[in-house]
Amino acid sequence: MLIDDNMDDNFFHKRVILKNDAAEIVVIKESAEEALEYLKTYHTHDQKVHPNLIFLDINMPRMNGWEFIEEYKKLDKEIQSSMVIVMLTTSDNPDDKALARMEGVLADFRTKPLTKEMLEEVLTKYCSNKTGL
Amino acid sequence: MKHSELTFQAIVEATPNAIILVNKEGKIAYANHQTEKLFGFNRIELISQKVEILIPQRHHEHHPDFRTQFFKSPETRAMGSGRELFAMRKDKSEFPVEIGLNPLVTLEGTMVLVSIIDITTRKKAEERFRLVVESAPNAMILANKDGEITLINAQTEKLFGYQRNELIGSKLEILIPKKFSGNHPHLRESFFHSPSVRSMGAGRDLFAVRKDGTQFPVEIGLNPIETDQGTVVLASVIDITARKRHEAMSALELKNKELEQFNYIASHDLQEPLRTVSNYVQILEEDFSGQLNQEAKNYLNTISRATLRMSMLVRTLLEFSRLGQNKKMVSLDCNTIVKNVVTDLNSLIKETKTTILIEDLPTLYAYETELMQLFLNLINNAIKFRKKDQLSEIRIGCRNNSNGHFEFYVADNGIGIEPKYFARIFQIFQRLNTSQEEEGYGIGLANCKKIVEMHGGKIWVESELGKGSTFKFTIETV
Repeated sequence: MLIDDNMDDNFFHKRVILKNDAAEIVVIKESAEEALEYLKTYHTHDQKVHPNLIFLDINMPRMNGWEFIEEYKKLDKEIQSSMVIVMLTTSDNPDDKALARMEGVLADFRTKPLTKEMLEEVLTKYCSNKTGL
Repeated sequence: MKHSELTFQAIVEATPNAIILVNKEGKIAYANHQTEKLFGFNRIELISQKVEILIPQRHHEHHPDFRTQFFKSPETRAMGSGRELFAMRKDKSEFPVEIGLNPLVTLEGTMVLVSIIDITTRKKAEERFRLVVESAPNAMILANKDGEITLINAQTEKLFGYQRNELIGSKLEILIPKKFSGNHPHLRESFFHSPSVRSMGAGRDLFAVRKDGTQFPVEIGLNPIETDQGTVVLASVIDITARKRHEAMSALELKNKELEQFNYIASHDLQEPLRTVSNYVQILEEDFSGQLNQEAKNYLNTISRATLRMSMLVRTLLEFSRLGQNKKMVSLDCNTIVKNVVTDLNSLIKETKTTILIEDLPTLYAYETELMQLFLNLINNAIKFRKKDQLSEIRIGCRNNSNGHFEFYVADNGIGIEPKYFARIFQIFQRLNTSQEEEGYGIGLANCKKIVEMHGGKIWVESELGKGSTFKFTIETV
């Protein structure tokens, strides 16, 4: 799942994921709110796609990546289970304070753009089964 | 005794002042009860005595002359105007007095009715006032309605560089810059018209001028004081040079903070569209490679290089803005710092066969990463701009320049720099060599400058084209 208000990045990231055969389905949400709404209700959808991996942009209008994390922590543990969040940043080095804010969530930090190497690294680190992304 | 005499006597006895009647010969013809009380004499002891019995010994010589003069043109007046008068008690103790003289024509000839007021209490109050003014931490100036200075304290002498006697009796305008002194009498008049405790020139910047002509910013408080010479004004003057400087500094610091913030945001947000450009160039190259001819591929290549370079510049800008943020100063041995830097540059030094001579360096308080970066940049530059036909030699040293700074130098025998570029090389993104000749983003010396300034120092270069360069910088010893 991609959460990013930048459609250019979404298109590019989706392409990298599909091209590297990293996922069968890529769900794209252009805002944190939409993404939360999707996570709360996906089990009612026909396809019932449970994202295993979320690439989350930090800088977004209205609700940003950090606020998304806070809301995400409030979701049912069942929804959160087997879900990994990778924060995508523009700047290079997140400081310790930033990392501390992700406590309690299985998550990581990466610098944009998403590349083949990065994808492989994240998948080997966190995901054994490749289903929905 | 006649009725009128009785009346006169009753009046004199009833006044609260000491009153004596003295004849032409200076003999006391009459003294009232207050005189007895004030001087400690019995009335009988005074009558027919020379009036000098009530005057301190040191004034005896001249007093008869004064008396003769008075009788030559007798008129009602105060004695000894402008001088301080003293009277003497029976026990020889002295006290300050004010004396009024009134000629009185009697059957025994012209006499003088002398009214004596003990002003000990007033003098004490005046003295207390003078002491308070003297010990005030501010310059304090007392001036009368005409703008004449009547009293100043030691602080005033110190602040304005005048001696006390140069100011007393001078016009206040002597302390005001010419530009403003013209209008000052007018302002003073309006103050005396409705005197109140207030600060001078609210909302305006006030300046004062010293004896040597230098001006300085001041704050002035005005206090009207009622005296028997009419209303006077006590002006309290504070030199606010330091405060003004501090205000200017804070404003500057704030501007710098804003600038850093702007720099961070700008460089951060600039990365995003750049990334998009390079990402999509990548898509074109990967997905449409077969449809593109060599010319198109070359153009894409150029776009890639330009975006990469732009991205590097923006990142450099970001790093520049982050220098020294949230860092702590620690005690550092510069010998270790430089040794580490030289180790880092080991391969470059070996490759270029550079010799580096390091003198004994001090231990000082500094930002560790930044100080390392400073030496790294300077040594790196010294190697980079070496002569092609001569092995590079770099000398590093430091001396304590005694005004609270260490002065370091990094000297090389490289290509040197023309004097007209001495300032420009420290500006960000300024490079003297075109990119074909030397790689780099023109950030090294700008970083050095910022790092040195973070340590309260300065950086400059001494060089001659073709004869090597010596970069010098200072760091506060604190």
